[in-house]
Amino acid sequence: MAEPIIRMTNIEKHFGSVIALAGVSVDVFAGECHCLLGDNGAGKSTFIKTMSGVHQPTKGEIYFEGEPMNFGDPRDAISAGIATVHQHLAMIPLMSVSRNFFMGNEPEKKVGPFKFFDHEYANTVTMDAMKKMGINLRGPDQAVGTLSGGERQTVAISRAVHFGAKVLILDEPTSALGVRQTSNVLATIDKVRKQGIGVVFITHNVRHAMAVGDRFTVLNRGKTLGTALKGEIQHEELQDLMAGGQELATLEGSLGGTV
Amino acid sequence: MSDAQTSGVDERVKQQSSLRKALIRPELGGICGTVIVFILFFLFAGDSGMFNSQGVMNWSVVSAQFMIIAVGACLLMIAGEFDLSVGSMIGFSGMMIAIFGVTLGWPIWLAIIVTFLMAMAIGWVNGMIVVRTGLPSFIVTLAFLFILRGFTIFLPQVIERKTIIGGIKDAAEGDWLGVVFGGKILKGFFQWLGDNGVIATFERGTRAGEPVVDGIPMLIVWAIVLVILGHVLLTRTKFGNWIFAAGGDAEAARNSGVPVNRVKISMFMFSAFCATVFATCQVMEFGSAGADRGLLKEFEAIIAVVIGGALLTGGYGSVVGAALGALIFGVVQQGLFFAGVESSLFRVFLGVILLGAVILNTYIRRIITGER
Amino acid sequence: MASILKKLALATAVVTAPLMAATGASAEGEKYILVSHAPDSDSWWNTIKNGIALAGDQMGVEVEYRNPPTGDLADMARIIEQAAASGPNGIITTLADYDVLSGPIQNAVASGVDVIIMNSGTPDQAREVGALMYVGQPEYDAGYAAGLRAKGDGVGSFLCVNHYINSPSSTERCQGFADGLGVDLGSQMIDSGQDPAEIKNRVLAYLNANPGTEAVLTLGPTSADPTLLALDENGMAGDIYFGTFDLGDEIVKGIKGGVINWGIDQQPFLQAYLPVVVMTNYHRYGVLPGNNINSGPGFVTADGLTLVEKYAGEFR
Repeated sequence: MAEPIIRMTNIEKHFGSVIALAGVSVDVFAGECHCLLGDNGAGKSTFIKTMSGVHQPTKGEIYFEGEPMNFGDPRDAISAGIATVHQHLAMIPLMSVSRNFFMGNEPEKKVGPFKFFDHEYANTVTMDAMKKMGINLRGPDQAVGTLSGGERQTVAISRAVHFGAKVLILDEPTSALGVRQTSNVLATIDKVRKQGIGVVFITHNVRHAMAVGDRFTVLNRGKTLGTALKGEIQHEELQDLMAGGQELATLEGSLGGTV
Repeated sequence: MSDAQTSGVDERVKQQSSLRKALIRPELGGICGTVIVFILFFLFAGDSGMFNSQGVMNWSVVSAQFMIIAVGACLLMIAGEFDLSVGSMIGFSGMMIAIFGVTLGWPIWLAIIVTFLMAMAIGWVNGMIVVRTGLPSFIVTLAFLFILRGFTIFLPQVIERKTIIGGIKDAAEGDWLGVVFGGKILKGFFQWLGDNGVIATFERGTRAGEPVVDGIPMLIVWAIVLVILGHVLLTRTKFGNWIFAAGGDAEAARNSGVPVNRVKISMFMFSAFCATVFATCQVMEFGSAGADRGLLKEFEAIIAVVIGGALLTGGYGSVVGAALGALIFGVVQQGLFFAGVESSLFRVFLGVILLGAVILNTYIRRIITGER
Repeated sequence: MASILKKLALATAVVTAPLMAATGASAEGEKYILVSHAPDSDSWWNTIKNGIALAGDQMGVEVEYRNPPTGDLADMARIIEQAAASGPNGIITTLADYDVLSGPIQNAVASGVDVIIMNSGTPDQAREVGALMYVGQPEYDAGYAAGLRAKGDGVGSFLCVNHYINSPSSTERCQGFADGLGVDLGSQMIDSGQDPAEIKNRVLAYLNANPGTEAVLTLGPTSADPTLLALDENGMAGDIYFGTFDLGDEIVKGIKGGVINWGIDQQPFLQAYLPVVVMTNYHRYGVLPGNNINSGPGFVTADGLTLVEKYAGEFR
């Protein structure tokens, strides 16, 4: 592969005396799904926030398309093309899908000296984008609140794609979903990847990661333990790395290998 | 991917009846209420003078008053905040116009403009405190309810040794801006109506021969203009989308790049602006400012908004609905007098309407968000 | 949809019908509407309600009492406009603020409704708005007379407990009292608010801070009742010179017990009763008294309290 879209080397992040990240290195290429695995408290959230410009790293470098990059705030990251789909979705249940889709990026048309929200354009684009992702809306004015969790994730993802994301960070998109909805979201990730967008898929579920991931990085106690390619690593190995090895192995035994 | 849920039209969604679909419009409750209220009062107070020209003007003016403050309260509530200082702001703004225009002798147009600037500055402070501290706006604006009311009583007592300052009518005589708030339009048309016997004329006194209703007060014009402006702003502009977003989920809106703080602060300022429009119209019409003006108007505004279908929790509502809520409120309040109902029962009716509206709204939200 | 609407309308009609019928039943003769400026919470106006009700019964006319729920005078102006639009034979109204109310009253007069001003306002103002007459107690004069009386009793300083600071006539009472005493009102008037507990505490605080205060003047039962409690609590009851406007149960007891030196009775009953009688007779037989009627002030002291006691809060 060529130059990665984003490369982060030896990132450290300290909050006072607490060291949240102690040397994390990750790179993301266009058109791949890079899975970032880690148990709760491994530093996933801090890492995402650093990548999306919410936090500035204490140490380490970020290169974006080969250039050293220092994001001042999230808007810088967004305008550079790094979009985050949060665990808590940036979706408002009471608002329609099309209003949500264009929230913060409202299309406008001029009528005389006044600028108005271009509902017609917004509705068409939303319906198209949703259809591409395999969701048939009742109408663009359907409230997001009536969609299922998986459908909401899909709306959020296709919104990010529509607004020119080059890197898409998905923060635990499948953690609260049922089996069918999870497979829908994973299918969506696959579609996005095929459009040439780099996907960072954060999860603690190895099974979900194995289903779509091209490469895997495990985060444990604020550190990365290297990156593995698909096929180079097994389910169990990843599981062990995440938990730090021994304890889970014993636990697994007692649970009959079901974890 | 090719499962029932996402391929083709979802067969479960189809089951929604057209009634339920219609219910999702926030104005629906307001429309039904308006129809019911008018039918009832036609039946019970049809011959009481409620629907003659004077009567219509009476409840129209009262409804228009509610509308002016309801528009401000509505947009603010959709943006997720309350303003309890509206009533005190009405008293305060009126008093400031009187102090500037009468006591200090400034030209009325200057007094009005400076008062508007002051009021909006106070609205800005309200908003800043709410946004910066993260305190509930309920508490912050409650503080301003007392602060402003206190000044409204204190200032005229210190300056003029009384709590009512009059003489604004004389001071506003011929003032170009005073007319914008206190004047009437279509006077010729109403004179013509009176001359042709369409509406009644005064029988005696200095105004004998003039029609009992001699024009549309600017108060009503302001109400209509504000409702239209508010409606267009909310439904047809980018900013309107931000208002919904800020009230629906401020965090989610921020994540999507909506300047939530700016939206909320400007809505606080708009609420103060509406209160000042109310106050200015009142002062120009009655010619005096009193320390008791606008008592409890904040709740009346909120009630009108809630009757009109807005959710107290923010993120959902309609300016047209709020306007209908104000119309219902005004018609019921004045109509009960016309119908000869004991006036202390007005609060009972108000409570019943409010409760009905809130229950309906909760039901509507359940439909929208799919909660069960 | 339509069926729901119908049901709703029907249900509402069923609920409201008895209420409407109850108030409309007595209507045979003329219709008079009394509009006051008092908020719902002011108990003194109960006497007024009873006064017009009795007059309505005796004269065989329909009477209604209306007031702005919060005491907002701008709302009261709308109520007068509304009353005029409903086409009664006459309107009896207070004139709490000339600027606000004169317009609507003049319009009512011009559209053929007779008006009598009661309680608040002055005879001059009543004439200016075109009212038939004024029935009431000129507030400043009443305060002045009370001040002269207190001065005769050797009072030199006082506290005026104003529970209705928004009303100019309340302030005039205090001002008149101060002028009668020949002292400056200054900070001797406090804004006590309407809440009994607050009034009590403010009076206590003031008397604590100004122990040399020689007299207390209250403006009605709203401020007198808590003031009585306050004086009980700090032991000044019976010692401090205590005068009050208006009467009520507690005030009558206070006068009887010697805690209150006198009450100024403006006889609100007459303010409500007489206008109805006067107007009915005017409309039926064309007779009208030639002047205004002063319903007060009458000083009520411990002597001759029997009838006052019996009807305090009801007709007195």
